[in-house]
Amino acid sequence: MKTIPSHMIVSFRCNVYRFVLTAVTMIACAGCSGTKDRAARDREQVVVAIEGDVDSFNPLFAEDVTAGEINDLLFPGLLSVKFKSADGTKEYAPLLASSWEYENGNRDIRFHLRTDASWSDGARITSRDVRLSYTLYGDTAVASVRQTSVEGLRRTPDGRPDVARAIETVDDSTVIFHFDHPYAGQLFDAGLPILPAHIFENLPRTGLRDGTTSRQPVGAGPFLLKVWKPMEEVRLVPNGTSRLPHPGKLSEVIFRVVPDYHSRLMQLRSGEIDVFPYVNVDDALELAKAAPQFEIVSLGERFYDAINWNNIDPLEYDRSHGKHIQPHPLFGSAKVRRALTLSINRKEIVDTYLHSYGRECIGPVSPLFRWAYNDSLPPLPFDPKKASELLREEGWRDTDGDGVLDRNGTKFSFTLKVPAGNQLRATIATIVQRALRTMGAEMKIEQVERSAFWNAVGGKQFDACIAGFSVPLQMQLDEMWGSDLERSRFNIPSFRNRRADEILAGARRVARETDYAASWKEFQALLQREQPCTFLYWLNDLVAVNKRVRGTNIGILGIAYRAEEWHTEPVVASGR
Amino acid sequence: MHPADSPLVQSMVKLIVHRIISAIALMAGLLTVMFAIIHLAPGDPVQSMIAPTIPARVAVELRHQFGLDQTLPAQYGHWLWNAVRGNLGVSFSHQRPVSDVLLQFFSNTAILALAAILLEVALGLSIGLAAVRFHGSLIEKAVMDASLIVCTLPTFWIGLVLLAAFSYSLGLFPSSQMHSVDAEHLSTFESVGDLLLHLVLPALTIAIPGAATIARFVHPNLLKVRREEYVTFAWSLGLSRRRIFFRYELPNAISPVITLLGLEIGTLLSGALVTETIFAWPGMGRLAVQAISARDYPLVMGCALFSGILVITGNLIADILYNVADPRMRAAS
Repeated sequence: MKTIPSHMIVSFRCNVYRFVLTAVTMIACAGCSGTKDRAARDREQVVVAIEGDVDSFNPLFAEDVTAGEINDLLFPGLLSVKFKSADGTKEYAPLLASSWEYENGNRDIRFHLRTDASWSDGARITSRDVRLSYTLYGDTAVASVRQTSVEGLRRTPDGRPDVARAIETVDDSTVIFHFDHPYAGQLFDAGLPILPAHIFENLPRTGLRDGTTSRQPVGAGPFLLKVWKPMEEVRLVPNGTSRLPHPGKLSEVIFRVVPDYHSRLMQLRSGEIDVFPYVNVDDALELAKAAPQFEIVSLGERFYDAINWNNIDPLEYDRSHGKHIQPHPLFGSAKVRRALTLSINRKEIVDTYLHSYGRECIGPVSPLFRWAYNDSLPPLPFDPKKASELLREEGWRDTDGDGVLDRNGTKFSFTLKVPAGNQLRATIATIVQRALRTMGAEMKIEQVERSAFWNAVGGKQFDACIAGFSVPLQMQLDEMWGSDLERSRFNIPSFRNRRADEILAGARRVARETDYAASWKEFQALLQREQPCTFLYWLNDLVAVNKRVRGTNIGILGIAYRAEEWHTEPVVASGR
Repeated sequence: MHPADSPLVQSMVKLIVHRIISAIALMAGLLTVMFAIIHLAPGDPVQSMIAPTIPARVAVELRHQFGLDQTLPAQYGHWLWNAVRGNLGVSFSHQRPVSDVLLQFFSNTAILALAAILLEVALGLSIGLAAVRFHGSLIEKAVMDASLIVCTLPTFWIGLVLLAAFSYSLGLFPSSQMHSVDAEHLSTFESVGDLLLHLVLPALTIAIPGAATIARFVHPNLLKVRREEYVTFAWSLGLSRRRIFFRYELPNAISPVITLLGLEIGTLLSGALVTETIFAWPGMGRLAVQAISARDYPLVMGCALFSGILVITGNLIADILYNVADPRMRAAS
């Protein structure tokens, strides 16, 4: 048997050693430089971890939450909004508009623009920019995702928003918004990000999505986009000329894409990132206990999860292309839906999985909106006995002894669709399955890829599904609960109720939001009676922030809200 | 004799022409199947892009702008015609030409793939040769048994273990991305070091199971080759040990590895999905997954086309190298 000659092995080893030595040296150098960087970064950079990429730096098309927040830092609107947590109302402050007044019986608002504000390329911001921005938002050819915000403006005879006539430019620094009628959200709708007319006016409307304007946007806000590396990072630097309201205090705000949750958590601990949005409750509790250098901040109760029982028969809806609607064979009855809610121990779910960062949900009005929240309605109790009674009253009995309820030959058996990728919802699904089995209801769980899930849910092709919702800042819920299922595409359970429609329509006509508090409370009572879905819990989304970052305003208005005020200070008791 | 008339060159040309013709047929089939799958899968790119609260007329306009209101054969024909002319369309989600997006992400994947392949070959050959060096001993058995275990380990597990050990616990290497936060302020030398630092764990994650596989190929092959008559004959001719090893033993022992690497290079260059996700490496794998999730049809098709070309090219290169290394293959072709 021959072996490799020893001198060859030695030579091979030498090469390997040289290679390893070189690599280690390079890596060590890099390690040293990394340490140096981190020390430099401590002064004036803040890194925010984000799970996914930013979709666009053009407010016309930015749909993603992070993109929306960043765009707000680049493209200011006429006003800035503040949320008053004491009573849950909104307050507007001047931004591009220095002042405004209502005219024509509150149908019109005259805005006086600042005369000292300019775009980052030096051009002055005028009323022409405001007019063009709203023209683009309202243009069907542009297909902006913010088109609904112009629907309150003066309309053409055929009922379409007539932006050309609705936005009147009196002079360079005065612009009048003509609305169709006075309503509570006029200022909110007038606060969209303003775009530079001199950049956008000559571009073809249908070609705006090609991203040309998104890569090097000309803005006027406190920050400018320095670098956008898709799937890697977004870097913002202060806009030295900004007066809306002023240049950012940090030298850089970096949004770094880290898709893996555990990597984000480790990077937070190691100091690579400073702000970690959507940290899990268990990790937040652990950080709060063991890592004093981090602060846990809540985004507020703006998100809730619900089990949506399809109130209508999906087969008939599909067969008739939405023209013929009849009740779902299982969930068409309010009594049955109530029984299902009573059989699920929602309090235990909150106590076990959300701890102090969640609460039972009674309806779609967030407790944050104190003026509208019906705190006289207690959550329905966990009462399996009462649930069984209700099901019996509706004729559901186990006549064949197979452990599953039936009625007129129909078994109480259905499938719950759960969007894939959300562990909490998957866990809740198994808890609900167990609870319903004890009642004699057979529930299968189907985890569905997100896009396919929304495809099925949007087409009403499901029996039940778990879905989460975000509550809009402007209290308008007709797209979620209106009976017109074609228009109300967010009405997942296909709930249809005449009184609910009256309340929802009234909310669009009221001039001051808080005047409608009684109607919203009635709406919540109505939903609790009808139980179109089982409201599970309000999620208190949590953000872990390194205490070296000061001046944050993290809350219901987002993570990067007023990021121009962020600054850094060294933390004495550093855990790095 | 003119070099072009040599049997080697002629057989190579014949092989390449044959492979290119079959590659075109293969690509046409792949693209048709891919187009059908992505379009028939539930989900709607417009729905992924806009909130359900957006008026229906916006969705209608977007479908028109994207050409989604045409019939599927018309859409396919349109895409194919443009692709033949080098226009892969505009990505719905990135809002940029697909070719630009692919090139940007490909360079990141190429860095990772090449580093992984180099590591894999270096580690695999070292382990395989070491096992041969200690033939008949317990060390050989331990090394080969360990390599069998390692090559069956899933990539995500290896990645997570490396992360936990070398990043989370020891803090030796960064856990994700290609560069440090402040990479742009570094000198060129520091920048390269920074990239290497970020490259170590993802490249190792890919390389470790591959190296184990290579070792398992090299070890028995080398032992077998050494028993071949032509090696004995070479020794009888009095050739040097070095010459016998490099001229006769090693080329014959590693010829299956060349095929293996050819296949792997193509696959790796089209994206190491799991590794890229774990280490947030902005490469082709993550790009493809994101495109599929967003139902970004032009980008999905672009990824399929690009990956297909890479895999086929990888195979072709492997075949050529195999032909060069093994005279019997030349004779056969």
